[in-house]
Amino acid sequence: MDVRLPKLGEGAESGVVVSIAVNEGDAVIKGQIILELENEKAVTAIPSSETGTVGRIAIKVGDKLSVGQVIFSLSSGGSSASVPAAAKSSKGPEKPIKVPQSKASTIEVAADSEPMGEDLAAEVGSATAAGLPLAASPTLRRLAFDLGIDLATIRGSETGGRVVVSDLRRYLDRLRMAASRGNRDVQVSTHGSRDASTPPKVESIDFSKWGSISKKPLAPIRQTIARRMVENAVSIPHVTQFDEADISTLLQLRKKWMPAYEAKGARITVTTLLLKAVAKTLKKFPIFNASLDEAAQEIVFKNYVHIGMAVDTDQGLLVPVLRNVDAKSLLELSKELNELADKARDRKITLEEMKGGSFTISNQGAIGGGHFTPIINRPEVAILGLGKTGSRAVVMADKTIAARSILPISLSYDHRIIDGGEAARFSVELVQQFENFKEEDITI
Amino acid sequence: MDPIKTEVVVLGAGPGGYAAAFYAAAHGKKVILIEQDKKLGGVCLNRGCIPSKALLHVSKLVNETRDSSRWGITFGPPQIDVDKLRTWKDSIITKLNVGVASLAKARGVQVLHGRGYFDDSQTLRVETDAGQQFVQFEKAIIAVGSKPAMHRDFDLGNPRVMTSTEALNLEDIPENLLVIGGGYIGMELGTVYASLGSKVVLVEAMDSILAGADPDLVRPVAKYAEKAFRETRLKAKVLKMATSGKQIKVVIEHNGQKLEELYDRVLVSIGRSPNSSDIGLENTKVLRDDRGFLKVDANQQTGDANIYAIGDVAGGIMLAHKASKEARIAVESLLGGEAVPEKIIIPAVVFTDPEVAWVGLTETEAKAKNITVKVAKFPWGASGRALTLDRTDGLTKLIIDPVTERILGVGMVGHGAGELVGEAVVAVEMGACVKDLASVVHAHPTLSETIMEAAETFYGHSSHMFSRSQAAE
Repeated sequence: MDVRLPKLGEGAESGVVVSIAVNEGDAVIKGQIILELENEKAVTAIPSSETGTVGRIAIKVGDKLSVGQVIFSLSSGGSSASVPAAAKSSKGPEKPIKVPQSKASTIEVAADSEPMGEDLAAEVGSATAAGLPLAASPTLRRLAFDLGIDLATIRGSETGGRVVVSDLRRYLDRLRMAASRGNRDVQVSTHGSRDASTPPKVESIDFSKWGSISKKPLAPIRQTIARRMVENAVSIPHVTQFDEADISTLLQLRKKWMPAYEAKGARITVTTLLLKAVAKTLKKFPIFNASLDEAAQEIVFKNYVHIGMAVDTDQGLLVPVLRNVDAKSLLELSKELNELADKARDRKITLEEMKGGSFTISNQGAIGGGHFTPIINRPEVAILGLGKTGSRAVVMADKTIAARSILPISLSYDHRIIDGGEAARFSVELVQQFENFKEEDITI
Repeated sequence: MDPIKTEVVVLGAGPGGYAAAFYAAAHGKKVILIEQDKKLGGVCLNRGCIPSKALLHVSKLVNETRDSSRWGITFGPPQIDVDKLRTWKDSIITKLNVGVASLAKARGVQVLHGRGYFDDSQTLRVETDAGQQFVQFEKAIIAVGSKPAMHRDFDLGNPRVMTSTEALNLEDIPENLLVIGGGYIGMELGTVYASLGSKVVLVEAMDSILAGADPDLVRPVAKYAEKAFRETRLKAKVLKMATSGKQIKVVIEHNGQKLEELYDRVLVSIGRSPNSSDIGLENTKVLRDDRGFLKVDANQQTGDANIYAIGDVAGGIMLAHKASKEARIAVESLLGGEAVPEKIIIPAVVFTDPEVAWVGLTETEAKAKNITVKVAKFPWGASGRALTLDRTDGLTKLIIDPVTERILGVGMVGHGAGELVGEAVVAVEMGACVKDLASVVHAHPTLSETIMEAAETFYGHSSHMFSRSQAAE
């Protein structure tokens, strides 16, 4: 029997293997995550369609995989038939044991001095051949399935190896201990999307105790977003600098030139103008357009300015990237920005179009809100958050008070390579660029 | 009529369909239940389990009045008022029909009477008496069940050739009845008609009645049939059937001979086929296998993400309680849950005289699949309770994993085995071991003790049976 790549969802036919969560000889259960696949939509965790022992794995990381393609061969259906293999692999004390997980991505725990997968060979037999479920109450079997635990890996304490609640509890306690021990010597990995910063499994809370609730599984794209946000938030020391810019002049310029742009079939938005101003600022402060190569201990400066624009879609956050913003005219930028945003909302955006950014802008202005603390999109080192422009009473240079359009600006930066002074200077320059937007830049 | 919008539509109001509708409604879903029949309850309630059990209860009574002469109590031959018997049987059905309908009402499930037909994966067209009614649904559960299979050559258009449906209507008691097919339906209905006075000849193509059940469990039933039926012909074949006046002329091949016989009625009980045609499945992505059963996954989902199928039409063993279990799985899935991917343990009961029941692994299956098992048997001859009932024609046996001593299956034949199997189902489902059953106290004197005693024979120390072979091991 072969395990093949299942249908991925609307429009997606293939993807690139990001990681493989199983090894040859491993026991897998139906629903267990076996690999992560990246395609234009997101990184998706692919579950196994069958239960059994993994035979030859036909793919490797980096392979392009199409729907229906063989991932690996699988020997014998019964889950417990695969138990001896799993037990064997735990003989060496240093070797990690894989814990089958159907709902979450696989977590690896270092083996305990007390082996977790015990030699259960003696307890595998006629029941499996007869197709009967494992010897445990139906309630317990349901619970184990929901928790993503293969009961066959637990030694039952009752006559004949029957598994009872206390056995499951003992197993979970050991998992938790092993997981916390594993987390102590966490090594930050710079490449793999699944690394040791995976948060320890949290116990579920029964919220229904306090009132009515409903549940919805975390969609794969949401899982990817969640994982990346944790990685970014945890691995980068963030500082967020707040400022404000008077964009009254910029707004007037936009109004003035709008008809000219419309005549050329483009809609010039405030974002496009700000984008241009940000590109100019980045050219003056190249460290904000750089990346930190942790492995090489080098700062990588980029001679290009590719700006990611965070787009709010039904499926979640997507960040298409506008290339060479510094070198493009506002007319070109406004057309491109519209196209990319539409593509992102229609989920037609390709993975390529979301890669290679050197800085990100998250503009919430259209929705509302003031200052906020955006999370840096690694491997970038800074992100700009824009709030809603509001009319404010401002004391002008001549001490008169005037109603001006004020834009809240929030700049998060990676404090490992950018200092506060540098950030303040960047902020001042950015405000200058916004407030003194040059008409020659908008002229067509 | 404006189309009705609903979250869940259930097509078919049998024990699968109404269970699904009620369960979904109990979870707050807006549910429409569609049934082409005027009465709810499906085959089970109207043309299957329930009427047959009513009639089998009568058979048992008739048989006992005859057997009681052995205990010094003699009754005269029974006076059978077929009309009154039919009325009583129908009154049970009506009670249940009304019960299901009022439960539907109480649950807020809207019932539509009419034939349902899928126009696409979101629309059902229902042909009601009041005209066409479209139902737009988010999820549909197909529970349209099955119907008795009828061989083309037997379908004479003559009401004297019956399926189980007509046989349960109890038109009259034919003097000579031919039953074609020795499965559970043929055996149960043959038993009913035999005890009401028909001379029954049973024809079975295989070499045993109740094919598939363990031979030692079938034996007491075969013995009963020998007495109660005029004849049971195994490895026999009906070659031809034709109307001959008020009778049916049948040509049967048996033991290399061709027999030409006349019967007043013929019951064709050669299996059941799914009601999967003429419901518009071609307008959906639902897939059928080559026998017409709908293909479903572990969550009872068909090839069409919006459509589930449960019960007989979804294939597998055709039993009402299997349909009800699948109803729960389907509803839990459409509520966002996921079924535990494991084999569902379904007990089987044949309401013959004596009853046969089993759950889990059978000895026959173990042999066929080369599964190593140990079998512990307790014959009812050693049961005090069976003796007081004068029904020692029983056997309880446990199919045991020799390594873990887990109970893999239980088989039983005997008076009331259908009720007795309940304990066995719990034991298999819970993963109980022989020792568990042996240590549970069973009330004396009851037939349930046979389960405990069978467990004890495994260890060679049953109180009421001495087994040299077990003791020697």
